[in-house]
Amino acid sequence: MGVWLLGATACGPKEGAGLERVRREGVLRWGADAQGGEPYVMEDPEHPGRYRGFEVELADALGRELGVRAECVQNDWSSLIPSLERGGSFDVAMNGMEILPSRAMRVLFTRPYYLFHLRLMARQDDTSLTGLESLRGRRVGTLANSQAWALLHGSGAQAIPYEGVQEPYIDLEQGRLDAVLMDDIIAQRYGMPRPGLRVVGDVGEGYYAIAVRPGEEDLRQALDDALDRIARSGELRAIFRRWDVDNAAEQRMVEWTQAQTREVLSHTSTSRLDWNQVRLFLQASLVTLGVSVGAMLLAIPLGLMLALGRLHGPKWVGALASVYVELLRGTPVILQLYVLYYGLAGVLRLGPLSAAILGLGLNYAAYEAEVYRAGMLAVPKGQLEAALALGMPTRLALRRVVIPQAFRVALPGVTNDFIALLKDSSLVSVISVVELTKRMTITAVDVRSWLLPGALCAVLYLAMSHPLSRLARALEAKLERA
Amino acid sequence: MIEVRGLTKLYAGRTVLDGINATFARGEVVALVGPSGGGKSTLLRCLNGLECFEGGSVRVGDCALEPGQGRVRASRLWDIRRRVGFVFQQWHLFAHRTALGNVIEAPVHVKGQGVKEATQRARALLAKVGMADREGAYPSELSGGEQQRVAIARALAMEPEALLMDEPTSALDPERVGALVSLLERLRDEGLTLVTVTHEMRFAQALASRVLVLHGGRIIEEGTPDQVLAHPQQERTRAFLGLGRAPAS
Repeated sequence: MGVWLLGATACGPKEGAGLERVRREGVLRWGADAQGGEPYVMEDPEHPGRYRGFEVELADALGRELGVRAECVQNDWSSLIPSLERGGSFDVAMNGMEILPSRAMRVLFTRPYYLFHLRLMARQDDTSLTGLESLRGRRVGTLANSQAWALLHGSGAQAIPYEGVQEPYIDLEQGRLDAVLMDDIIAQRYGMPRPGLRVVGDVGEGYYAIAVRPGEEDLRQALDDALDRIARSGELRAIFRRWDVDNAAEQRMVEWTQAQTREVLSHTSTSRLDWNQVRLFLQASLVTLGVSVGAMLLAIPLGLMLALGRLHGPKWVGALASVYVELLRGTPVILQLYVLYYGLAGVLRLGPLSAAILGLGLNYAAYEAEVYRAGMLAVPKGQLEAALALGMPTRLALRRVVIPQAFRVALPGVTNDFIALLKDSSLVSVISVVELTKRMTITAVDVRSWLLPGALCAVLYLAMSHPLSRLARALEAKLERA
Repeated sequence: MIEVRGLTKLYAGRTVLDGINATFARGEVVALVGPSGGGKSTLLRCLNGLECFEGGSVRVGDCALEPGQGRVRASRLWDIRRRVGFVFQQWHLFAHRTALGNVIEAPVHVKGQGVKEATQRARALLAKVGMADREGAYPSELSGGEQQRVAIARALAMEPEALLMDEPTSALDPERVGALVSLLERLRDEGLTLVTVTHEMRFAQALASRVLVLHGGRIIEEGTPDQVLAHPQQERTRAFLGLGRAPAS
């Protein structure tokens, strides 16, 4: 441990070397996720590989002020801060990054460049929502670990975490959520155009700022100065106007002072891994277990039917079963969950939990089908023939003679699949189910450490999978005798 | 009891059975002999519908199998299979069931007998074939001869009118063959029709009331064991039996 810490310190960024490096290389690399999309950063449809957006223009202006070129580096949004912290492939991160205490403890923030409002939206026909205080106990969607997320937790609402900006509004329309709380820029682009939704009001405000690697105080200072100049010259609001994100409140950005920056950055959070968090972890384990067991209970009979169809059904049934297996096995389960939950939202009204169970169950059925097919092929042909010769109809012969023997062959594979499913169930967080892994990442950001939440998460997964392995081995041993 | 008319079977363009006509009467013991590839095992398998065929018919009592009957065929198949038992060369005992479990499987699940009743009857059958003390053993724990006796008991549990046996002596020590013969004699005396494919001429001689010689998918000679095995009329039968040329007559 000591050696590791020493190594980490030795490899850390050299104090104040940031500006020097940017100047030497003649380029300011800034990390952003083009998937966040319009109007922040998006890929230029006419020039693939190039980016557009108000943050792109701001970055160009900053580069000009520093006398270097600005270059956008694509990086998954959720890992922008960890990448920056570790000294990744970019110098700064700028992508609708709110100044949050949990982030301010890990990286440096410049002065803010944009003031946003947290806009609450609900369905047109739902008049029960009037403001933050009316959210108690209601399902409200937002981005995990955002300022809105923290605000919702304080308000007693049931915060549902999302990774994209479209999905929460789709779910609000579908009635899977009662409200959505997002930055006004997002609400304006993705929520307000939807006719079935209305704006309840703005319930808070916050700031976007540029995150700088810890220790590179000189780069932060240089960016602060550059931002001041860009804001005072009127260029900042001109950029905002071009992208239709300007409003009267942005005048505060023009008149911003260093004292205000110190004030904003002085807030600290006190979140830590307490009993309450542990309780949430246990709840999330139950979700993981429930989703996995539910999906397996669906996958087993469906997989068995698919395998029987392929081996003993009429030709067309066998062909259909083959197509099913190839399709569901050959495409990512995360895509299938998206299609099932969002793609078919218009025709199939599923809650997140039932969509999770159905999606994983349908996907795993394809794998189970192959495991059972292998098991049935391993039963000598003479066994089926002997049963038929005794006057058993084919179905009875399969049920009484072939399937029980195939089960013994398939059991290790089924156990394996179930354990894989326990872990794959973490994918259902894309359809807003908070299971164990999602809970871990949320908590890790809250408490600013991955070590303890990660260990707790691992222990809970093992606590679920290990007894299952033991049980399966005992069952195998029991069947071994026959 | 079993009547075969013009039975023809093709396999991959080759004629395996070529218009077989044969009748197996109640209580008769018939041995099918002949060189490998002559069609005897295929004929046996046709008798309870394990093979489908292209021409002719197989009639068991009032139930007839003909080529290409689809669904009708399925229901007739079950009728025929419940009346005609089959003992495979490799027995194919259900590997996941004990000896007793093998014997009660079909009576309980095909005939719908109660487990209690089926068990009682199965024990009697296992005693009859000399396996009373091994009812709890799994097939993997039994010798070849023991598995064969369980397979016979399993077939008898369905109370068939006929029993088909494919090469019953192939896995037996010579001293065991005598025991098998006496068991089958007892079954014959109880009125069971027996049709057996065999390579073992002494077995055929000891047990059969009639011998059919199959060659090239046809019955080339038939008669009592004495006639066919000791004084064959056909050159090909003599060749198969390893006898010299027929005395000039």
